[in-house]
Amino acid sequence: MNVMITGAAGGLGRAFANECAGRGYNLFLTDINEEGLTRLKDGLERQFGVTVAVKACDLTKAESVDEMLDVIDKHGILFDMLLNVAGMDFEGDFAGLDRENLVKIVLLNNAATLRITHAILKRRRPGRPFTIVFVSSLASMFPMPLKATYAASKRFLLDFAVSLRQELKKENVNVLTLCPGGMVTTQQAMASIMAQGFWGNATTNPLEKVARNTVKRALAGKVIYVPGILNQVLALLGKVMPRPLVAAIVYRRWNEARRKAGNEVFAD
Amino acid sequence: MKTAVITGASSGIGFETSRLLSALGYNVLGIGRSEAKCRKAEEMILSENPNAKITYLVADLMQQREVVRVAEEINRYLNENCNGELYALINNAGCVRSWYMTTEEGYEQQFALNHLAGFLLTYKLLPALKKAHGRVIMTGSNSHFGARIHWNDVMLRRRYNPLTAYKQSKLCNLLFAKGLNDRFAAAGIRAYVVDPGLVNTDIGNKETGGLVSFIWTLRKRHGVHPSVPAETYAFLCEQNPKPEGLYYYLCREKKYSRQVTVDNAERLFELSERLCGIHYERGKPA
Repeated sequence: MNVMITGAAGGLGRAFANECAGRGYNLFLTDINEEGLTRLKDGLERQFGVTVAVKACDLTKAESVDEMLDVIDKHGILFDMLLNVAGMDFEGDFAGLDRENLVKIVLLNNAATLRITHAILKRRRPGRPFTIVFVSSLASMFPMPLKATYAASKRFLLDFAVSLRQELKKENVNVLTLCPGGMVTTQQAMASIMAQGFWGNATTNPLEKVARNTVKRALAGKVIYVPGILNQVLALLGKVMPRPLVAAIVYRRWNEARRKAGNEVFAD
Repeated sequence: MKTAVITGASSGIGFETSRLLSALGYNVLGIGRSEAKCRKAEEMILSENPNAKITYLVADLMQQREVVRVAEEINRYLNENCNGELYALINNAGCVRSWYMTTEEGYEQQFALNHLAGFLLTYKLLPALKKAHGRVIMTGSNSHFGARIHWNDVMLRRRYNPLTAYKQSKLCNLLFAKGLNDRFAAAGIRAYVVDPGLVNTDIGNKETGGLVSFIWTLRKRHGVHPSVPAETYAFLCEQNPKPEGLYYYLCREKKYSRQVTVDNAERLFELSERLCGIHYERGKPA
């Protein structure tokens, strides 16, 4: 199995890399953080003895992606699986955020994901099953004030992935969309989860379990994976409740969390 | 003048040990993660004892490249100021986590900091330790009893339990000390593990969350002041000839888990070498 992982040097990408290497798969990892990729390559090779290739790349730049594809083609690498992890968010009210940062969310989460997915689909190992995972979010289930752009970009991925799955079904390709709640990927992510209090804690999914179950389910042909029973209930509520009401509830919750987080920063 | 390197030296047990050893006339090199906390610790020690020889270096030892970088700085310092001799290395830095979190290498953080960081730093400082017939002291814990090494999944990725990971990392400290003694006792180096007992420090509140932090806040109130275990480190540095035991609590030798065997020590040594990308020379058997 040859697996491509984007955003591999970060929390969830790294957890996927560990999971796949633990299964004995060979990896091609990309991330914007070159140092992180090199360190991870060392770690994975030492721990699991698998072959790991890395190439730093800014997925939002077509030239940078082309450069990476050149490397892939030069070595004649063909893939069996693609894990689209790279993504970002800038939190806050839309009008108050930096304009370029807002655009970047969509450029990476959506445009870049389409670009890499299209390119890697062309580099499938022929005659073999192929698996694609899109890392969406529980946020894709709701309109989310203060994370408006992010939530919408994740909704894009969810709907796109389900459609793509239908198109590729006949070619023995499965597409799974992962919609996790919060995960403790970095020290900052943890601080932000703590600031949300009970609900933050309750909707948090253990990183290593999410990585393991996602790969398992993607290989088993599943469509959508929402980790955790509470998150599944919330996703369901998001479907049946009127969307303006959901938006009002979410707005209240995030405002509170932000206020608390702000206080803690000042208290330090 | 005897030089000692102490990791995790800006707070808790590491700080009190730095303070005590510098009061005893040691030249202390402390390592901490936060520049601000290192400066504060340095000021505190100097304000009590203006003649103290204390230098703080900043490094995040969880990341292996930081260990390598700070080891180079220390070796340069030792060569310039101490005739290349290191009298004591105290691998004290440690952490507790509530969730499975990884380092840059993708290694579980408690295993990476509590064990691998000390393993790699000791390797890098070995020539200086040999030259001074030095001592290596690890901060262990009685919680290593009942733990075993999960050889097939040492990072506990498959079934992560933060406490299991902590206990295992503390068992690693004993196995590493044993491995060092088996290899380098003949070369004059001796390794020990200190059981500090229950100590009132913030280890369980740093970057942990929810339950772990809450439980530790209740538990640490019953702990002793970190200056109490500091005396055991000073004892192990000061005793001559070198004590022959492995595990010490309140300046006295103590029993350790039956998991601490030659085989397990050897196996952990090889695994750790692989995970750090290094090879200790084969010392003569003691």
